[in-house]
Amino acid sequence: MKKAWFIGLNTFKESLRKKTLYILLVVALVVIGASKAFSFLTAEEELKMIKDVSFSGIEFFGALIAIFISLTAISNEIEKRTIYTLFSKPITRQNFFIGKFFGTILILLLNFILMSLFFIGLLIFKKSPPDIQVFKTLLLIFIELILIASITLTVATFASDAFNVIFSFFLYIVGHLTSYGNQLADRTENVILKGLWKILHTVVPNYENFNIRDKVVVGIDVSWQYIFKTGIYGILYLAVVLLIGSYFIQKREI
Amino acid sequence: MNVIEIKELTKYYYIGRKKVVIGLENVSFSVEEGEIYGILGPNGSGKTTCLKLLLGILYPTSGEISILGKNQFDIEMKKNVGFLPENPYYYDYLTGPELLKFYGKLFEIPDKTVNERIEKLLYLVKLHEVKKLALRHYSKGMLERIGLAASLINDPKILILDEPTTGLDPIGCIETRDLLIQLKMEGKTILLSSHFLSEVERVCDRIAIFHRGYLLTTGGLDELIKKYNADGLEDLFVKTIQEFDRKGEKK
Ligand SMILES: Nc1ncnc2c1ncn2[C@@H]1O[C@H](COP(=O)(O)OP(=O)(O)OP(=O)(O)O)[C@@H](O)[C@H]1O
Ligand SMILES: [Mg+2]
Repeated sequence: MKKAWFIGLNTFKESLRKKTLYILLVVALVVIGASKAFSFLTAEEELKMIKDVSFSGIEFFGALIAIFISLTAISNEIEKRTIYTLFSKPITRQNFFIGKFFGTILILLLNFILMSLFFIGLLIFKKSPPDIQVFKTLLLIFIELILIASITLTVATFASDAFNVIFSFFLYIVGHLTSYGNQLADRTENVILKGLWKILHTVVPNYENFNIRDKVVVGIDVSWQYIFKTGIYGILYLAVVLLIGSYFIQKREI
Repeated sequence: MNVIEIKELTKYYYIGRKKVVIGLENVSFSVEEGEIYGILGPNGSGKTTCLKLLLGILYPTSGEISILGKNQFDIEMKKNVGFLPENPYYYDYLTGPELLKFYGKLFEIPDKTVNERIEKLLYLVKLHEVKKLALRHYSKGMLERIGLAASLINDPKILILDEPTTGLDPIGCIETRDLLIQLKMEGKTILLSSHFLSEVERVCDRIAIFHRGYLLTTGGLDELIKKYNADGLEDLFVKTIQEFDRKGEKK
């Protein structure tokens, strides 16, 4: 575990050097900052706008960062052949994989905190300090981001970067369309389509579960029970994903 | 005592579904404690493949490997092994000392010991004057040198070096040669691959010649030269390989 941590720290340092990361972060901050530019709104509407845009922005750019960082965390080491030296050391391939996971989570956490602080600063500036509902929303977004990162990292253990990008974005979109899918599946008479949707729905991570911003923005309280339940769902899904990744990194020919 | 034993080791690379490339074909040999064992062979003969298999970086198609009595994936065993890959490349944003420290951590060596070793090793490979330089500004030979230092960070019993002098200037070659002999005198076992016959001639106790994935011959230098009635190592090298290719053509 300690060795995985050192590999994680090294991954963190390496990721910090990526320019794309800073571009994404700056764009995210600009988007969040721009949410208060709608001066024609009433104060209350403006606040809603800030929250809505900020939550969406943190989630979307967080997802981009999560995918971008975990995409190359493993393939970089293979491409640059640093993995040969690493695997000759007394570490298991699982140490390596979990280390990469730690590293990407650290990077993600850093970016997430920066974006969140900016957003919270904005709220305070607007004389409306964040309430607990805001933090609940952020918490679920972060769990979702961890899940997104872990899936990309796991796919990276057996597939090419190109496939991985497409697959990760596909999952990201499908994972958010679950409620639409449910509606469609309810309406259709086709048993096969219904069945297919059921399977897809079970396998694909239900990212929409982590989205409570629509409620929070309009002032509907979301219970702790829901947060807890969704958190557990996220952790279980994460555990399965990481297990799959550990399995494939073990089998990987480099 | 044999510290490395390889039995009927075979490695096929699969390219796509059908195409098979032979990396190593049914190779057996062993390395004795305290000797320097050199692997020779033309480009693509399987030297790197063999060394990567030994470190558990690649999975063998078949065959067995034993290092210090353990298999090649054993974590405890790896604490006693140092490895320098061919054309080493490292995290280029780190400095020399930072790189060594990182690898030291993976061996769980106490900080104090690591720091002392780093000082010593940087001096040994003549990189003590560029401590603040990031690896991306290193020359090819400097990378080779820091790689050699990195392979020694755990004070290993067994040192596995893939072409340790490729890219080094003549002085660097001589220094590395002297270093290898010094390490041997300290009781370390060294397995290396090389294209420099004169170097191998000077430092190696025993050699193996690889070709197209096959181990053509192995043994003490003098013994082999006598056996093949050769005029020096170069002649031995050419003779064994030509003989193998002739046999192959007849088939
Ligand atoms: N990852 C790989 N995929 C497919 N074939 C490979 C791979 N690595 C090596 N080979 C093949 O295996 C054979 C042996 O390669 P290897 O790198 O072991 O040779 P080598 O003796 O180290 O050569 P050199 O002296 O050039 O370093 C070559 O035919 C090579 O093409
Ligand atoms: Mg080679």
